[in-house]
Parts: sequence; C-alpha cells; structure tokens
Amino acid sequence: MTTSFVEKYRPKDYKEIVGQAKAVEIIKKFLEEFPKKKALVLYCPAGTGKTSIVLAAAKENNYEIMELNSSDLRNRQKLEETLKPASEQKSLFKKSKIILMDEVDGVTGTDIGGIPELVRVIQTTRFPIIMTCNDVWQSKLSPVREKSIIIELKPLDLGTIVSVLAQVAEKENVKKDSQFFKQIAIKSQGDLRAALNDLQSYLSGEDIFVDITEKRDVEDTIFNILRKILKERGDFLNLFDTTSMSIDEIFLWLEENIPKEYKNEALAKAYYALGNADRFRGRVYSNQSWRFLVYQNVFQSAGISYAKPYAFSGFTKYERPKRVLKIWMHNQKTEKKKTIAKKYAKFVHCSTKRIMRDFSILLPILQKTEVQKQLRMGEEEIAFLNN
Amino acid sequence: MSQSDIWTEKYRPSTFDEVVGQQEIIKRTRSLVQALNIPHLLFAGPAGTGKSTLALIIVKQLFGDRWRDNYLELNASDERGIDVVRQKVKDFARTKSLGTVSFKVIFLDEADALTREAQQALRRTMENYTNTCRFILSCNYSSRIIDPIQSRCVVFRFKLLEKKDIEKRIRFIADQEKLVVENNAFETLYEVSEGDCRRAINLLQATASISPNISGEMINMIAASSRPKEIKVVLDYALAGDFVNARDKLLDVMLKESISGVDIIKAIQKEIWDLQIEPEIKVRLTEKTGEVEFRMIEGSDEFVQLQSLIASFVLAGQGKAI
Repeated sequence: MTTSFVEKYRPKDYKEIVGQAKAVEIIKKFLEEFPKKKALVLYCPAGTGKTSIVLAAAKENNYEIMELNSSDLRNRQKLEETLKPASEQKSLFKKSKIILMDEVDGVTGTDIGGIPELVRVIQTTRFPIIMTCNDVWQSKLSPVREKSIIIELKPLDLGTIVSVLAQVAEKENVKKDSQFFKQIAIKSQGDLRAALNDLQSYLSGEDIFVDITEKRDVEDTIFNILRKILKERGDFLNLFDTTSMSIDEIFLWLEENIPKEYKNEALAKAYYALGNADRFRGRVYSNQSWRFLVYQNVFQSAGISYAKPYAFSGFTKYERPKRVLKIWMHNQKTEKKKTIAKKYAKFVHCSTKRIMRDFSILLPILQKTEVQKQLRMGEEEIAFLNN
Repeated sequence: MSQSDIWTEKYRPSTFDEVVGQQEIIKRTRSLVQALNIPHLLFAGPAGTGKSTLALIIVKQLFGDRWRDNYLELNASDERGIDVVRQKVKDFARTKSLGTVSFKVIFLDEADALTREAQQALRRTMENYTNTCRFILSCNYSSRIIDPIQSRCVVFRFKLLEKKDIEKRIRFIADQEKLVVENNAFETLYEVSEGDCRRAINLLQATASISPNISGEMINMIAASSRPKEIKVVLDYALAGDFVNARDKLLDVMLKESISGVDIIKAIQKEIWDLQIEPEIKVRLTEKTGEVEFRMIEGSDEFVQLQSLIASFVLAGQGKAI
C-alpha cells in the first residue's frame, strides 16, 4: 500500500506550512505565552490545514498530542474520564503536550453536558488545548469562544495550491504542465487535501483516461441545493450526497422554502412530492427499512424539481426552517399546561396527549379549588389555570 | 365511588355491574376473574368506551384492598421509548405479588403508540415475566399491534357506546349531583361526544360548573370551544391562494389548541362540503383528505401531509384539482 500524498507530504514544521503565516504566528505566541490563554480555536472550511498546523506546532515544541475527535462520544462523563485527567497529568517520559479536540462543533445534543465540561477543563488545564471546528459562531459554542483565542484559516489560494502540487509532483518524479496542476487546483476550491488526493489518483492511473474537468464533490451549501431543486428542472438524484447535512434536515429546508418559488399547480405538485417523500421516510422509521430511503430521495429531489413546468430564474432569498423553532418555542410556553395535564392524566388514567387535546373542556373542572388540591397543584399552576 | 371532585373518576364504575354497554365482554372477563386467573388481555376499541375502567375493575376484583400494590399502569404514548417501559416493568415484576393471587397486573394503555421495535421488545418482556405478571394492553386499533403480541393475548373488541348506554350513565350522575337535565341535552351530549363516555361526562361537568340546569345549547357552546373552528380560516386563506398564511395559521392552531393532525383532518373533511367550490372538486379534495388521514395513521408526518393537502386547496380555489 502506498502512503497517501496527504500524509507523506504533511508539513513537518512551521516553515513548511503554506498560506497560513498569520495563523502560525498566533499559535506560536499562544504556546509561548501559555497559560496566559489556555485554549485556542481554529476554524475554517475543510482541507485548509487545521490538523497540519497543530501537528507542526507539536513537532516544533517537542510536545505530544492527545487527540479526541468526533468519533468519541463527548458527553460530560466521557470528558471527565478522559480529558480531565489528561489535562492534569504529565504524559509518559515527562513530555509536555497539546490537547487537540477535533471538530468541537460536532459535540451534539446527545453529548449531554459536553460543552460545560469542556469549559471547566479549559479553566483548570495545565496544558494548552487546541480545538478545531468548521463553524465557531454557533450559539452553543459561545462559552468556549469567551475562553479562547480564535483563529480563522482562509481557504488556500490558487497559486499556493498549484505550487504545492508542482513541488509534490517533482518529488514524485512526474512531469506535468502547469495547466494540469491548475485544473486540479481550481477543482479543489481551496481544499489542499482534496487537491493532493486528486493529484495522487490521476498520477497512479496514468493509462486510464481521466476527465479532470469533472467537478469534485465539494460540500454543497444548503442554499446551492435549494437553488438546484427549486430553480432548475433535473433529476438531482445524487445531490444529497454532496453535503454532510442529513436528508431529513434538507427536507425541512425544502418544506419551508417551496412556496417561495412555486405557485398554484406547481405548488400542489411539489407538496405532493414532498408528501410522498415523507411517507417513505415514515416507513423507513417505522419498519427500519432503509431501503425506502431510495424513494424518499427521488421524491425529495426529482419529484420536487419536476413539479414546475419550466426552470425559474432570478435570485430568491431562502429561509431557515421555522417549524422546529416554532414548536420548540411553543413548548416552552406551554410547559405549565403540560405539567398540569400530566398530573391530571395520571389521576384519571389517561394519556397526557389526550388531556392536552381536551384542555379547553376540562378547564372549568381544573379551576375548582378541590380539584386543584386533589392534584396537588403548585401556586404557579393554579395561577396559570385561573388566568 | 371515590371521593374525587373529578366526575370521570368519582363515577368511574368499580364493579362489573355498574358498567354500561360492552355486556358480552363483561360477562367473559367476570368469569375469568372469578377463576382468580387471567391470561394476557388486549382491549381494542375507541376512546371512552371502558377499556381502562374494565382493567381497573379487574384488578380491584382480583386483589381487593391491596390492588394498588399489585397494579402498574403505564401509558405508552407518554412514556418515551421502550427502555423506560421495560425498566419500569422489570422493577415492578421483580418482587412477588402480595396476597392470594400469584401474579401482578400491568396495564399498558395506548399500546398502539409503541413502534414495532418497541412491541417486539415488549413481547420478550411479556414472555420473561409471564409467571409473575399479566399484561392488559389497550389500543384503538388492534391492527397496529404486531401479531405475536395479539396471539399471546385474549383480544376483546370494545364497541362505541350506544346512545341509551351513555344516557343511562349521564342520568345516574345527574341524579347524584342534583342537576336538571333537559331532554335535548342527552341528544346533544351523545352527538358531540361521539360515543365517548369520558368526553360526555367531562362535558356534563364543565357545563354544570356554569349552571345546574343543563340544556343542549349550553353543551354545544362548551363543546364548540374545543372544536378546531379556526380551520375555516386556514381553508379560506388557502382558497384565496395564500399558501404561506394558511400554513402558518394551521401550525398556530395545532400548537395552541394541542390538536392532533387527525382531528384537523376530520374538521377539514366536514368543512369541505360547505365551501364555495365546484362539487366535482369537492369530491377530489375528499379523496385527497382521506389519503392524508390514512397516511397519518400509517405514521407520516402530520404537518407535512397537511401542507400537501392545503396546497391542493390552493389549486381548488382556482377551480382546479391535482
């Protein structure tokens, strides 16, 4: 097995890092001045050198790296078990170390208490913590932002990528004209890792005809996806493979934005397609029959796209899905109602859902003092009912 | 009779003799209880027809005063996930029953709210604890209970209560509470409660909280407060071509009144024939409505399906159908 170019030519020290001089300066300073600031966040699109920079920094200072990436479950307990001791003890051979938390924006809702624990560790750590993420401005990361230096890595420019590719090709003893490197570089859209991988695959498959004008699957933004489906007419069967966003999340975006483009008959047809997609999605969930995902995919892409009689033009501003937020906000508001319904439901051997539905009929009954006493309602609940 | 001020509880029958309707089922369960042994039971039928009541009567008859120690009630639509159910069942079943009967009873209400996987897991649980526990499951549609569970249970199908049954119960309660009930009130109560005795009693009590003289008009007034009347507004928006407002309003109504998608669909279905559109299109819309209702029961997302229906109404507003 040959090693990948990405690993083989990974920068070994600060000098070899291309196109991120400013970031290197800041990291240098951060490590020198530690523990003035205890943590640092690198954020940027994929393939611009986050990992390389951290690895180079470790080599320069002869540090070890302790890494926690998104494949580990990062809830409070897990972090307490692994990260906390690591942040307090010296490693074997008394080397100092950098703690690398990859993809902190991947600490999700299921990693309960993950972020608060992370903040606690940042406060007490004896070693520098470096975090990476694609989007540092999410609200859940705000406590982390406050405690950290933040560096944005810019996508690499064309010239930089071309020169790296040329250098690598030279070391590999291959001769190609500059046009070839440029093509690959353009395709990579600033992602050096992608460019190196492409280069390697083209070089290893010399006798195969390779169409290098074919566009690489870059992360499509949700707006591009929406534009394609809602503006153009096409199959778009593989469209959802080009994004890391889940098909269900895209579903919500489509649901929200269809009426911005479609009217009348096209509108009805588009929602008919969306309804069908939903139907198969329901079957996926209720029977765990993943096979049905294929059908959801078709209705959600081609089905909606072909619902229009012709392609639409012009610019449309798409919006974030509102439904989930609305439901959430509503639930916050009806929390009281729910606790009351729950108490009552238990008492009358019935489901909370049914009680919520019949709430308006039950209101006069729930307003009786004796009933309120019997259900042991709190003051706030009583105030809610009598209002 | 319990001492509650909530009439559905105060007047919940606690013996077989008090139950109205379902006479065949009563006869059979009574003989099972007399033998001090029951199999797993599955009660299928519409809401408010006596499923929970009968389950309670069974345990009260079996265990007498100690029924609370030997009885666990769980509501599948409220318990999140089968793990909760399993844990509670396990904890409950671990200890021996108290008294002369050798098993305990677990009542799992609205069991059709459990997913298929949860039901598969439940089936194992039922087997594991069959020596110490009997299950009574209730559901609206037995078709939503997987076959292996059905085959482990004796299935009883509850019918909608007839008018005379509900009237009998309401008369009894009215006498006890010293209410004056006008004749047309029984009719109205039966109509608006659609054979759901719990709903009828709740309506009676809500109305009585205003006045001890119960009339049909008053009941209608109270019942109307729970009807999704704003559905008309949603449909009007849609027919006028304003999809976005129609759907926003719809979500509002569903959230604010906690109305389920199925109830919305029922309201829409009734509303269609009063709309100012071509009769032919009404038929097409009804077909679409029926399909949407079916999909909801099948497990589709209620709001997505309703949006699709509303989009059809937008088209209908222009005299077209999809």
